[in-house]
Amino acid sequence: MKLSRPTMPKWPREIGWRTIVGAILLGGVIHIVATFAVPALGPAAAMRKLREALPPNQMVILRPAAPGKQPLPFLAPDAFHAICRYDVTTSPVNVSAVLGDPGWTLSLHTPQGDNFYVMPAQQLRRNEVSFTVAPGGDRTADFGLARRPSGSETFIETPTSEGLIVLRAPLRGLSWQAATEAMLRRASCSPVARKR
Amino acid sequence: MSLLGSFLVNLAVFVAVAVGGGLGTAWYMIETGSRLSTRTFGPWTTWTAAGRPDADPYTRAHVLRNALLPLSTTLEMTYHARADSRGGRLHSACEYAIVVEGFDTAWWSIAAFDGRGGVIQNPAERYAFNTDTVMREPDGRAVITLARDARPGNWLPIGGGSRITLVLTVQDAAWAAASQEGSPPKPLPEIQRIACR
Repeated sequence: MKLSRPTMPKWPREIGWRTIVGAILLGGVIHIVATFAVPALGPAAAMRKLREALPPNQMVILRPAAPGKQPLPFLAPDAFHAICRYDVTTSPVNVSAVLGDPGWTLSLHTPQGDNFYVMPAQQLRRNEVSFTVAPGGDRTADFGLARRPSGSETFIETPTSEGLIVLRAPLRGLSWQAATEAMLRRASCSPVARKR
Repeated sequence: MSLLGSFLVNLAVFVAVAVGGGLGTAWYMIETGSRLSTRTFGPWTTWTAAGRPDADPYTRAHVLRNALLPLSTTLEMTYHARADSRGGRLHSACEYAIVVEGFDTAWWSIAAFDGRGGVIQNPAERYAFNTDTVMREPDGRAVITLARDARPGNWLPIGGGSRITLVLTVQDAAWAAASQEGSPPKPLPEIQRIACR
């Protein structure tokens, strides 16, 4: 019995090299546009998810993640989070917090998730921190604040007028839960009172 | 083939390659990453510039698309594992052992999530172990067992019949610096599959 050779479809032979090269070039453009469009079109996914739960310039303590009650995906479930959605449009923001044991962190994030400042708790260090978050450049002077702060003041310039301040407190166990919450309650975030 | 037929074939190929290839590769680079933006150590993968203001566009898109809020990798490294050390997909139907050692002074945490980053419901309400909550062996190692049913020692419950993602967080500036240079100063924990149902 004679087997007939499988025949290749004819349409691939119709594809010109210009089509392939042009498609690859346009594909590259689409790749770049799509990559840059994600930050531009999906403004601050984490910020968007947290916005409703966080009044501006106010520290809010979030319970550790539990099934169905998780503010963000992959957020550490073995930690309390105190988060402040800061807004320095009308006034800089004073922040103070106590950092407990190693693992505690105080971090500042832009709406895009960039962590432009972070302070970890360290043993044998003074763990009370306070600073002022202010807009960068000349805008600091707009609010009546000195461009050069005194030695006792710390300014942190934020690249965006809005963002998140996150105090993360890992749980050491149920016995320490009340103490951890008490330390978190000492954290504050409030607009700077204007000088008259 | 007629002139019209040839044109339509070329048009279809052009659109498929340009749109499919452009969007597909962008999606892959943002969701999975490549050596440009990630490093893989055994089953663990980390986005090396996550959280940093100078992060590459793929990392920034990954962080935004997944609603993550990472600390800068100059301080803390976050590793994700979706497979065990032999390459098998992590699944709640299986039991795994993770031996944690070598972190010395670094603060660390291991948490189990479902495929979408949600914590896994369990009656023990236990979702993670960290430096302070884990029980150690006399030699300093910590053995964490992931299983559906209770196990002695550091039992991290997994259930629900779903895929699992493990997240290992290591907070130590020296560790992070070494990881940025090339590889972590000590090997990351192996994820050993013990059995599957």
